[in-house]
Amino acid sequence: MASETVDNCSSHDPLLDMDSLDSLSGVKSDEYLELQFRVFRLTFLLTIFSVGIAGFFWGIQASASLFIGALSGILYFRLLARGVGRLGTSSKIVGKVQLLVPVLLVLVSSRFPQLDLIPALLGFLLYKPALIIQFLSMP
Amino acid sequence: MDSITTAASVVAAGLAVGLGAIGPGIGQGSAAQGAVEGIARQPEAEGKIRGTLLLSFAFMESLTIYGLVVALVLLFANPFAG
Repeated sequence: MASETVDNCSSHDPLLDMDSLDSLSGVKSDEYLELQFRVFRLTFLLTIFSVGIAGFFWGIQASASLFIGALSGILYFRLLARGVGRLGTSSKIVGKVQLLVPVLLVLVSSRFPQLDLIPALLGFLLYKPALIIQFLSMP
Repeated sequence: MDSITTAASVVAAGLAVGLGAIGPGIGQGSAAQGAVEGIARQPEAEGKIRGTLLLSFAFMESLTIYGLVVALVLLFANPFAG
């Protein structure tokens, strides 16, 4: 009896159709994942370009620092995206774990003499031009 | 580094993080509230709302990161240390 009621609801009322809700949810998460991948791809391209320029003009140390900073920026953005993805479903607030990434980056850069602080920070901020490009290209 | 420079650096680091986090904190709270309300009203637009929220959060949180970086540089790589 209960299964008949559920079957009737799912066949007549589109709001209670669980299959369509599941597929709709999949489309939504796909859209969100696609946005993240676009930003990651743009950040990777900017990283490769900037690391090449830095290696050519300022040497291998600045280039390595920029690369580590860019990887930290990508990690930061991934953690932020995970926090935003959980908002409203499994969490009521956006976590602050991602703020540990720049803290660790500055600590590591000041601790190891092989890394420069300024290129590492500039590399960390490389996700920002990618975001601006993405924001401008949004319909 | 003399004691006055050390004290000033520690106070400035605290002010940089504390004051720099007020504005983004308020902004992120109101943005998250609007986004969750929007998702509840229009679940079919969840992907777009979350994407816009992510971009807004990244821009807002960078202000906090600037303050954090200034504070960390003052504490661990102070340019005024003799």
